[in-house]
Amino acid sequence: MFNKSALLRISSLLSQPASKNFHLSSTCNEIRKLARLRVVDNSEIGKRAMAEGKPPRCIHVYNKTEVGLIGDRVLVAIKGEKKKAILVGLKQNQKPKVPKFDSNNIVLIDDSGTPLGTRIHVPIPTILRTILKERTHAKGADYTKLLGIASKFV
Amino acid sequence: MNQAEISKLVSQLRVRVNPRLRKLKSAGGPEARLDKLRKTVTALIKHERIELNYPRADESRMYAERLISDAIRYGDCHRETMEMADFWLIEKQLVHKLFKVLAPRFVNYSTAYTRMYTAPSVYPEVVKRAVLELRGNPYPSLVPDMHNNRNLIHNVLLDEAKKAYRTQKYEEIAAKIDAAEKSVSEEARK
Amino acid sequence: MLSTTPRLALSRQLKNFRRFATATTTPAEQPVKDKSDTRKNVLEYRQIYPEFLPDPKIEFRNPIREKLERSDMIARRANVDIPEFYVGSVLAVTSADRHSPGKLHRFVGICIKREGCGLRANFLLRNVIDHQGVEILYDMYDPTIKGIEVLRLEKRLDNELLYLRDALPEYSTFDSNMEIEILPEGAPVPVNEIKVKLKPRPWLDRWERKNLKGVQDLELPQRFYDRAKELETPWEKYDLMKQYMRTVPEEEQVEIFSEVQTHLHRSGAAQKLKRKRTFVKPTKLA
Repeated sequence: MFNKSALLRISSLLSQPASKNFHLSSTCNEIRKLARLRVVDNSEIGKRAMAEGKPPRCIHVYNKTEVGLIGDRVLVAIKGEKKKAILVGLKQNQKPKVPKFDSNNIVLIDDSGTPLGTRIHVPIPTILRTILKERTHAKGADYTKLLGIASKFV
Repeated sequence: MNQAEISKLVSQLRVRVNPRLRKLKSAGGPEARLDKLRKTVTALIKHERIELNYPRADESRMYAERLISDAIRYGDCHRETMEMADFWLIEKQLVHKLFKVLAPRFVNYSTAYTRMYTAPSVYPEVVKRAVLELRGNPYPSLVPDMHNNRNLIHNVLLDEAKKAYRTQKYEEIAAKIDAAEKSVSEEARK
Repeated sequence: MLSTTPRLALSRQLKNFRRFATATTTPAEQPVKDKSDTRKNVLEYRQIYPEFLPDPKIEFRNPIREKLERSDMIARRANVDIPEFYVGSVLAVTSADRHSPGKLHRFVGICIKREGCGLRANFLLRNVIDHQGVEILYDMYDPTIKGIEVLRLEKRLDNELLYLRDALPEYSTFDSNMEIEILPEGAPVPVNEIKVKLKPRPWLDRWERKNLKGVQDLELPQRFYDRAKELETPWEKYDLMKQYMRTVPEEEQVEIFSEVQTHLHRSGAAQKLKRKRTFVKPTKLA
């Protein structure tokens, strides 16, 4: 039933590595549970996950609306592990003067707020300075460490 | 909140523009709606006076006004206006009428180019009817010509003024005749 | 506190009115331009300052608010140069940033969208920084904006360049240290007829249905074009009243621009002179 070109196309699809961006579900512009994210720091686990084409998924958002906004903390499933991360750039439309990015970016952190990597290789919004300072309390986790490893602010 | 489109300049319409366009119950969607309006606009340009249902008359009046104002504004050498006239006038000889007859007729008008009246509807019917016409048409006027009605106040005043003028004249004439008679009788006495 | 704020607002409005009143008296010294001249200027002004035209939707119209907004816009333009630019021009916006006090934030990017009217006019800049696409929306009359520079003044073939989000990154990459490209005096604004190559699907929108002029062949299977053809609305361009309701009639445009003409002309001349403004330190009120 298949003609030759269709067969060729299917075989080419099957031969493609798993890293090819091939998903059946449409991308979600809002960070909810099971949203695919992009790790933008140079932590080992994050780098490997992105290189293998298995981007981490959000499995929980630590706020009351369950929709992640900029600066929110999320729990992600990455390479079979659960890690915490901070949203540092979103696809969805933002308020004036707040940058909007082409991908949903996260930076992995541990429970005390220390980033797992040592460098962030994309620009991050300056509004994070205010947001992360507000979220940090004297005895809790210190999220502002993330700002120290940023390479560029927009 | 949107920006106004700036690609085309249009003249202001002299009729009231409804905030929302009517759908006119057209089964074929927006295309069929335009077809309906096209027929009405063509008929209006052709016959210069038509009677029809009110909503359709009100709707097609705006389109006819737009067509004429564009024809006056851009003339027959403007390609877009010509395309528009070609679309809106189903009978193609009316394109000539639009540019050669109607545009010169309306070019110095400071009022709307069309006039609309509500028409009477016969009793069991409750549909609102209207008469739509182009201004300056050759037909007799639809509204009765009231300017020589006896009971209008200015006519009453004019009548009184005429009467007063006439009595004054009569008095003058009578006085003249009296004077003449007097002089004749005086001469006879001499 | 509550009682003082309305009074403040009122006094500002009065000041604006006074500014208007003085402005309307000044043209008496200059030779009065005849009506055809303003009519001709409208053709240029509506291209350069589209945000001065009100929202064409009848339900949003409010002549008093529009007039007040225009006077506020002119007051803002007296303080900051808002130059002529179009969708497709490359801009650099310098603004004060609340989140990094004491620093000015500069963003360079191509203007991909212009929207809104009156004080709500805004534009969207896009750039690719470190292989990451970034977009920032700026309000045109935002008081935190310190300056808008036009680095490259040009137009594109489309009215919105949102398809750059799905295009290859080199089409929206601009160096942040880009120098100003100066056009020859009196030359018309050039139209860049570049055809952008899009990435393969999936896209953010169905670009084949948008009738885009500035993209290369989309290389889609025929069924996409068939469907796009089915959904076309070719009759819409003949709908004279829809066209009318999307725009502002010329009579109103002439009225609006003849009202603001002298101010715009003055600020335009100021832009050309590029004179330095001295910063007066605000004195603290007791």
